[in-house]
Amino acid sequence: MEQAATQRTPHIQISDAACRIVGECYPENIQEFSAPVMSSLRSLVPNSGEYRVEMELFYFNSSSAKFLFDFFEFFEEKAASGLAVKINWNYREDDDTMLEAGEDFAEDMESCEFELVGVEVPSEGEAE
Amino acid sequence: MINDETLELHKFMQARRTLFCYSGPLSEELLTSISNPVRQQLSESESDEGVAKRVFGVFVEQAQNIIRYATLRADTGEGVGTIAISVTDNDGFLIEAVNAIDSTKRTALEATLLELSMKDAKELRKMYKDRLRSGPPEGSEGAGLGFIEMARRVQRFEFEIADTENGPVFVYRGYVS
Repeated sequence: MEQAATQRTPHIQISDAACRIVGECYPENIQEFSAPVMSSLRSLVPNSGEYRVEMELFYFNSSSAKFLFDFFEFFEEKAASGLAVKINWNYREDDDTMLEAGEDFAEDMESCEFELVGVEVPSEGEAE
Repeated sequence: MINDETLELHKFMQARRTLFCYSGPLSEELLTSISNPVRQQLSESESDEGVAKRVFGVFVEQAQNIIRYATLRADTGEGVGTIAISVTDNDGFLIEAVNAIDSTKRTALEATLLELSMKDAKELRKMYKDRLRSGPPEGSEGAGLGFIEMARRVQRFEFEIADTENGPVFVYRGYVS
C-alpha cells in the first residue's frame, strides 16, 4: 500500500516487511485517514519474522496523536506475539516537540524495539 | 471620503501587527486552504522554525475547536468564529480565537482551562499522555487533547467567557515566543 503525501497527510508506504510514514499529519478527517492505514497494517503485517517501521513526522495535531497511539499499539501487540519489530522515530535535532512525542511513545513500548533517531537539520540553502 | 470603519480596521490590524485574521464560517477545507499562507507568513516573520511550528500548532487546534464546537453555525453548518495571529511587542506571537459556546458547557470549560493554566510543562506532558491512553471524554469529536496540546505549546494563555446578548462567547489568547 502506498499513499502520496498531501498538504495535511504524510507519505505512507506499507508492505509485508516494512512501513514508512513521512511528513505532516493533521488530516481533515482523522477517521477517513486512519481507517485504510490500520486496515492495510492488519492485512499486510505478518505474525512472525522481522518488521521495520520508519517514522519521520514534522508536525502532527492532537487528533492524530490518537491515531499514532493506536498505530504503535498495533505493533506492540504484534511484537508481543512473536514479530520482531524495530521502530525508528526520526526527528530533526532542533525539534524538541517531535523528540518529546517520540519519548512519550517510546515509554509505552515493551515488546517493540523503539529508537529515537536525531536527524541533522539541513543547513541554509540546502533546505527544501 | 473613505468609510471611517474600513480605514479604522486597517489601522487597527496594522497597529496590532496582525499577520493573519479570519472571521466567519470555518471548515476543514478552508483550514487546508489557509494553512500554507499562514505558514508562509510565519516563516517570513520568524527565523526559529520551532517557534513557527508551535504557533502553527496552536492555530490548528484553535481552528479545529471552532470547526467542531462553535455553537453559532452558518447556514451551511460550519462553525463561526474569529481566529488571528499577531506579533507581540517582544516579537513573539499572540494567537487569538473567539467563538460562541453552549451555556451548559461553560462551567466544565472554565474548570478545564483553569486547571490547565496552573500546570507546568511536566504536568501537562503527563496529562496529555494519560488522556491519550484513556481515550476522549464524552462529547469530544477529537481526542480531547486540543486544549492540553495548546497549553503545552504556549508560554502562557488567557481565557475568558464573555456574556453577550446571544449567549456566552469563549475568548482564548495564547502567547508563543
